[in-house]
Amino acid sequence: MPLVNNKVGNDCTVSADKALVDEKALVDSLIKVVACYRHLASCVGGCTDSLQLRDELRQTREKAQMLAVVIRDHLTSHLRNKRLPEVQRKEMEIHWVAFSSSLELLHVDMCKVFYIGDIFSSANTDTLVKTGIQGGGSEVAARALSLPDLNQAQSPTLPAGLESQERTTMEQEISQIDHMIDDMEMKVNVMRWMVEPHGPQYAEPLSSTDSASLALLSVDEEQPGHQPLCQRSQIFVLLLLFAVVLVAATLSICIVFFS
Amino acid sequence: MTIRNTLRDHGQRYRPRMACLKKTEKVLLEMQDPKTGVRSQPQRLVITTIPHAITGEDIIAWLADRFQVDTQEARTFGSMLVALGYIYPLQDHKRLVIKPDVSLYRFQTPYFWPTQQWPVEDTDYAIYLAKRNIRKKGILELHEQEHYNRLHKWMNHKWDFIVMQAKEQYRAAKERKKPDRVVFDCQERAYWVVHRPPPGTVSAMDYGLDRLTDPNSDEAKTPDFYERIMIFTQQSIMRPRVKSSVSIGALVKYCGTYNNHDPFLFKCLPSNPWLTDDVTYWNLNMPCVEIPTKMRVERWTFSFAELLSDPRGRDDFRLFLKKEFSGENLAFWEGCEDLKWGEAATIKEKAEHIYKTFLARGAPRWINIDGKTMEVTVKGLKHPHRYVLDPAQTHIYMLMKKDSYGRYQKSPVFKDTVKKAICPEEHNFSVAQLEQNAKKRRPSLSPIILRQMEKEQRAKMAANVDITQLCRFTTPIPHLAVYSGITDFPTATTSPSLTFLAHTPACPSPISVALDSTSASERRVEAGGGEGEGNPAARAPVCGNVSKSRMALSLRRLLKRGCTPATMFASLSPKCHSAAGTSSRIQPISPDQPSQPPPRRIGKLKWIFLQSAVSTP
Repeated sequence: MPLVNNKVGNDCTVSADKALVDEKALVDSLIKVVACYRHLASCVGGCTDSLQLRDELRQTREKAQMLAVVIRDHLTSHLRNKRLPEVQRKEMEIHWVAFSSSLELLHVDMCKVFYIGDIFSSANTDTLVKTGIQGGGSEVAARALSLPDLNQAQSPTLPAGLESQERTTMEQEISQIDHMIDDMEMKVNVMRWMVEPHGPQYAEPLSSTDSASLALLSVDEEQPGHQPLCQRSQIFVLLLLFAVVLVAATLSICIVFFS
Repeated sequence: MTIRNTLRDHGQRYRPRMACLKKTEKVLLEMQDPKTGVRSQPQRLVITTIPHAITGEDIIAWLADRFQVDTQEARTFGSMLVALGYIYPLQDHKRLVIKPDVSLYRFQTPYFWPTQQWPVEDTDYAIYLAKRNIRKKGILELHEQEHYNRLHKWMNHKWDFIVMQAKEQYRAAKERKKPDRVVFDCQERAYWVVHRPPPGTVSAMDYGLDRLTDPNSDEAKTPDFYERIMIFTQQSIMRPRVKSSVSIGALVKYCGTYNNHDPFLFKCLPSNPWLTDDVTYWNLNMPCVEIPTKMRVERWTFSFAELLSDPRGRDDFRLFLKKEFSGENLAFWEGCEDLKWGEAATIKEKAEHIYKTFLARGAPRWINIDGKTMEVTVKGLKHPHRYVLDPAQTHIYMLMKKDSYGRYQKSPVFKDTVKKAICPEEHNFSVAQLEQNAKKRRPSLSPIILRQMEKEQRAKMAANVDITQLCRFTTPIPHLAVYSGITDFPTATTSPSLTFLAHTPACPSPISVALDSTSASERRVEAGGGEGEGNPAARAPVCGNVSKSRMALSLRRLLKRGCTPATMFASLSPKCHSAAGTSSRIQPISPDQPSQPPPRRIGKLKWIFLQSAVSTP
């Protein structure tokens, strides 16, 4: 243990700094989980909807809620602490805003999943919408849960009776998030117009190669419409090339002939 | 900005119920059936294939078969499905229509279906734009760029979160397989084309204003709720009733008459602007167009109300009445309308003017209403309010309707209008031309400009005064000043409506005008002096002898007609008590005063002379 020769004030800031870093990590992971949840939610009702997907959704949801509870407790306690220095308070407020926005997104996603799950029960696969998705969301769920690989062996085969229980739990969780949101507003007064972000306006591209390949795919996506045109231009180029070759050949023959 | 504070917010935040969405969802589910649904095929891309693509013609055929309708209607229905966002096109993703050929479409995932419960959030749009920015390395379309900047300004406090969320969603997408990623991108893009349409297109999700109450929630059965129902039913009982045969008969007649004139139900010439984006129809039917269309003229024959409510029709009618020399009826009616719908501050003034011009004994444009109504009106005018002239107005309206309207329809004015009315040819736009038109769509003139145009129109009308009709917008005719020798006469007033000066229908003979140049100016001055209180800025004082004669004139009037209502003639009381004009040039107001039959029957010839004399500027 290094000699900690701190005054009380310093002690406070050091612990606050550490708390800040911790919270940032927590909020970032919540954002990540919410993003993954959204991807999974977009598959509900589509042709890849299955018990497995629902299970993955459930797990992701539970993780998100767990994170939310932890962050809420941290943030509430820190923001209600009057002796927090100004710089840290600003940082905390930014985290607060990010946290509340993530919760809102999560809330809407959960409501949508609940509602759509109602219409499309995974038992009746006839009416699942043919969306063109082929793979499942396992990799996304794995990312959300920070597991290297989601163990596919434990594919859940929930008996049908549990589905209604699942629905009620979901309802409860939705209302829980609801209350959490309301609670937060009551307890901590963060003036949103005072919060200044310090990120860039435009997100930088993450990795050039990856976006390039995706761009290629998307160009392909729009390609079929332009195919006739491309073919025509290709034929034109070929003809031109052929004409040039022909001219070169005749010239060479002339040279040979006259020399 | 804050989290849904629907409890604390008393504003209108609920989206109205869109019943079409529930119904469309049912149809969509039917389309998915592997046996009886729409046939799907894989879409081949360079690197991979993606299943579940459907062709436009398949969709249309399925819809036509399922609902037993013809292809055109199935096509419209299919376009609606695409416009609402349940199916999205794979090529040409910005045009949300169904093409009846092999162009490919795909079903939208239920997560991105339009819903009534959850409004489309700007936060999501910001995240989407940020993601798109990452993917396209900063090359966004112009309108997207504008939206992005605007959202950055308004949601600045969340921007860290938005950027982070966009990055995370992007990274999460990378975990998926490539074809799935492509499909998800297409889905999201299609979703935002529906809900944030690019400029120049309209969104099918436009629903108008937000509602105050949530249409999804059940209303609590409190005592207030029941009280409201009780009041409503009590009022329903008290409503006057009509036999259903009568009311239905009237409805049927109305529908039959107006059927061909309704652009919803019948084709409108040259083309329906809402369908073809070509505004010729509106231009041809502007309020003050020179030559009306045949359909418009036909509508004038349906009822008198139609004729009067159409400004062009009213102009035509006014012209006819002018020829018949009974323009004062219409002028009075218009004055009453102006009083009823005008500003409260000007009511008293307007009522005075109307009285002086139309109702008073000896008024320049006296209208013929029965004694009882006149009594009631004059009594009411002591304390004028908005509806004080209603009985008189109704009487005149019925008079015009029963008498002049019939004659108008047989008159040469109307026949001439009918002959000149145009019947535009129908447009036949090809698909390419329709697209062109859609691109050229522009917003219409702003209401401010329209109001200015109307004002100019009215000022122009005021300038084109016809002395024989002595319409209400009279300004003292400049060229009469030549006769009268008075140079400093005020010209057009600031407020053109109902600021009329003197004009006497019962004009003097043209000879008297020529000789007695002051008489006309006298009369003008008289009314001008009378109005002096009302329009202090407008009138300039005139020469002495004129005011002298004015005094004598008013005296004579008083003597002639005995007592008069207090307020009106108070203003006419002589202001300057100079010696009574003994000049012979003082003429009675007219030989044919309102105590006698209405002026229009007398002095026609005189007016014709006067008109010809006056019309030379």
